[in-house]
Amino acid sequence: MTDVETAIKNGEAHLKKMITTIKHSVSYDETAYHLPISFALTGIAVHDQKTAGAVFEKTGSNPLVAMECILAEKTAAEGRLPAPFTGFIDDTVIRKLGYSLVDSSILGLALVVGKPPGPDSASAICRELQEKYMLTFLAGDVVTSLSGAGVKLGLEYRLIPLGPTPSYGIHFVDIIARVAMMFGGVTPGDIQRLLTYAKERAKAIVIVYPGLSDEEIAFVDGMRVLGFPILSLGDYQGSTWISTTPDTVVRRGMDEKGIRVHVTAIPIPMGCSPAFEGKSIRKEEMYVEFGGGRSPAFELLQMGSADEVQDGQVTVIGPEIDAMEEGRAYPLAIMVKVAGKMMKKDYEPVLERRIHNFVNYGEGSWHVAQRDIIWVRISKEVVAKGVKIEHLGKLLAGKFRMDFPQLLDAVSVTLITDEAKVREAKKDAEKVYEERDARIKGMRDTEVSTYYSCTLCQTFAPNHVCIITPERPALCGAISWLDGKIAYEISPSGANQPVERGAVINTLNGEFDGVNKFVKKASHGEVDRCSLYSVMEYPMTCCGCFECIALMLPEVNGIMVVNREFKGITPSGMTFSTLAGTIGGGAQTPGFAGISKNYILSDRFLQGEGGIERLVWMPSQLKEELKMRLTEKLTARNKPDFFAKIADETQAATIEELIDYLDRVKHPALTMKPLV
Amino acid sequence: MGHNLTFGWSGKIGRITLGATRAEGGTRKKSYSIGGGTTLPFLESDPSSAAPLVALEICDDPEYWSPIVKNYCGNLVENTASWAQTAEKIYGADLIRLYLTSTRQRNFSDIASLGKTIESVLRSTELPLIIEGSNEPRIDSEVFQMCGETAQGERILLGTAEADRYRSIAAAALAYNHSVIAQSPIDVNLAKQLNILLREIGLPRDHIVIDPYTGALGYGFEYSFSAMERIRFSALKGDADLSMPMISSAIDSLAIKEVREAEPSLQDSMAVQWEFYTGMAAAVAGAEIICVRHPKTVIMLKNAFESIRNGAGFQEVKQDGTQGA
Repeated sequence: MTDVETAIKNGEAHLKKMITTIKHSVSYDETAYHLPISFALTGIAVHDQKTAGAVFEKTGSNPLVAMECILAEKTAAEGRLPAPFTGFIDDTVIRKLGYSLVDSSILGLALVVGKPPGPDSASAICRELQEKYMLTFLAGDVVTSLSGAGVKLGLEYRLIPLGPTPSYGIHFVDIIARVAMMFGGVTPGDIQRLLTYAKERAKAIVIVYPGLSDEEIAFVDGMRVLGFPILSLGDYQGSTWISTTPDTVVRRGMDEKGIRVHVTAIPIPMGCSPAFEGKSIRKEEMYVEFGGGRSPAFELLQMGSADEVQDGQVTVIGPEIDAMEEGRAYPLAIMVKVAGKMMKKDYEPVLERRIHNFVNYGEGSWHVAQRDIIWVRISKEVVAKGVKIEHLGKLLAGKFRMDFPQLLDAVSVTLITDEAKVREAKKDAEKVYEERDARIKGMRDTEVSTYYSCTLCQTFAPNHVCIITPERPALCGAISWLDGKIAYEISPSGANQPVERGAVINTLNGEFDGVNKFVKKASHGEVDRCSLYSVMEYPMTCCGCFECIALMLPEVNGIMVVNREFKGITPSGMTFSTLAGTIGGGAQTPGFAGISKNYILSDRFLQGEGGIERLVWMPSQLKEELKMRLTEKLTARNKPDFFAKIADETQAATIEELIDYLDRVKHPALTMKPLV
Repeated sequence: MGHNLTFGWSGKIGRITLGATRAEGGTRKKSYSIGGGTTLPFLESDPSSAAPLVALEICDDPEYWSPIVKNYCGNLVENTASWAQTAEKIYGADLIRLYLTSTRQRNFSDIASLGKTIESVLRSTELPLIIEGSNEPRIDSEVFQMCGETAQGERILLGTAEADRYRSIAAAALAYNHSVIAQSPIDVNLAKQLNILLREIGLPRDHIVIDPYTGALGYGFEYSFSAMERIRFSALKGDADLSMPMISSAIDSLAIKEVREAEPSLQDSMAVQWEFYTGMAAAVAGAEIICVRHPKTVIMLKNAFESIRNGAGFQEVKQDGTQGA
């Protein structure tokens, strides 16, 4: 066993001595970066002992600098290495190499040094590195070991033999230094920028076999400051090197640096692009549909462990599309399981909401709403092209991996079309939705000073801006304040941005200076003011995804709420869909607001208009759905009998019937301050 | 006095440089600096930005090209280099946009031939170039590497990056100091998102030109116009992620029904008219580069831009309808 710490000490001392013995001029042809490591670190062009000594001193006797200078002198003295060794690689090749790194045809760089125990060990590791799109550099006995095993070497095989001893591994570092200067905007001498680049952007790992000299150990250890994991395969102890085995070393290294194999194409027989997001599938164009109040349907995304989720797996339980009759509605459960090292349970609802976008990316698939009120259609056109239910799963699995490469390692999708099984699974999903809603329950708008925006819907409602607060979820009901916060963490340039509340303009209406400023900017100058808690004055804009619509009924001095599932005519004389057509598209319509179901339960609900006492009418189904939670709230607020005063379509289907009903129950709205 | 032509806007469109002269390390006879505007086009008497540039689009495999252009140009389309030369000397284009349509052949793999084509075009014209690489993700990496490398030093504009396909183009721009066309599907937010993605990969803002996607007049142009307008307004209001120059190419103009079904004797002029009015409208919306395919449209657009800028275009119309000084 080699003790690494002792070896480093001896090696560094030896390197220090060696650097003073440089006699000849040191330089490489075919580079504009002199000795690239020294140049990148200090901006000094090393060409002789004096300049080498200066850089060595300036960098605090850095072993990488020492090794670079010593090897450069050796190369200058001995000339180019014989084939297959490359030695120093010139700038033109580095430029191409950097290109492949930026365009992701190479995912990362690996250096393998030392003497493998037998020919098979190294060839297995190198094969795995090739399969994972890593570009591998080799230095030392590993090269002879590989050529002995018949492994082909060279740039075209992504296996590059740098030189016959591990010292030549230093070229691995000079390559990264040059890539940083060419592609990373690192100016020579800007050591901080260089280190940041090496740590955060250079996806490099180092694999060490036994057989290194003390100086070589010192130089390999020197790469730790660049943030490269040093993975040792035996014989080294007493250091921060990661001890591992040949079977797991590649995976471990890639995990350490967060290097992931990307999904680049989705194998389905229809187009898949944001360009299709805005299109809808009309009844005449549709082959089949799911949900939308016509059949039970829901969607759910949950995280699982790495062993549990097999990446890309799509399972369809129940009849496929060829067993479905054209023009009909069928049950559907969309269940996505994701796994990833950085994945958190809190992220689930945020990712779940992306199902909406992804399904709409499909050329012939269409999706609205969320959770257990989804409505999905598949067009005749793409069914003719061979699209099946299964392909929705493939689309989702692919898109999730593509769009969240940092977050997700594996995504699998289960699609259920069997009615009994959908209903069964839906019960469990509803429990999950409840747990998620409970997580944010109890948090107050006044407790935080940052709210979150959502502009996900600007693709079809160009000036719409949702402001999400702890007590007012997004109008679609799918994104809570917590979700907004997490979405911002996952994707800082995405559709959810932090909004500083700023100074209070109107407490009751919930109008804030910071919110107004944000809305003005995010609505491209169209909307100047936005009250968070008022339907009447500067209400929030609406896209088209609202779970419910709240609207003023001047005849009764009150406000009614109708949910998307309600198909009948409301006392306003209009159906939900007619109303939706009136208020959507990103407009601000005083007297109307798009809201989520949960917002009805909030203490902020209708605060600007005097609170929940303004609520005069809701469909019976919505009343039923909210009954337990709403009566609990009302009891806590000492108004236990108010719930019964809210009319529904069975008591009042028209405005006349509503006036009568409200009179009869002595509804408080009748005597409140006039709304208009 | 006239109106305040900047309407209280504080932003400015960033400048990008296209082409490089010998003194700048390339072989072009001139280079252009586009952008720099502080208001909408054609308003100022002393404009803050140059007149829009007109690019003629050509290709290296005419099989994929409009029959109308092939009829008009005859055998010229068989020789990419001569076509480019004629675009400069006869048709009067400011820029040449070369589409490598040969890459659309099934299982195309002759990457080296693209390098030769680009070299021959660089030799036959001294105008700055726009090069459109492949349409096929499978060969993107090699194609853009070839484009970038062959045109090294010439500061070309490389197309076309999209949200799910921008890495190779960005890499070629970074490696060989070119600029990139960033195309989004008629959507201001997606345009911004792509610019952010490009920035994150390391491409500076002064190497990006926005292509908001242009539909032909009567075939969705109004959406493009609105997207361009909104991108420009956002930029002028100070959104740095949208403050790049724009390029517009209404490539469908020559294939629409009105042109296809026009009387044979009128087809050519109908095509030119359609391209002209679409290009004109895109220029009014703020595009700095207008691309056309019919050679005759080039000079019409250039004359039109010239006459608006030097004529009555910037003079204020008084309440009574007469023009003020």
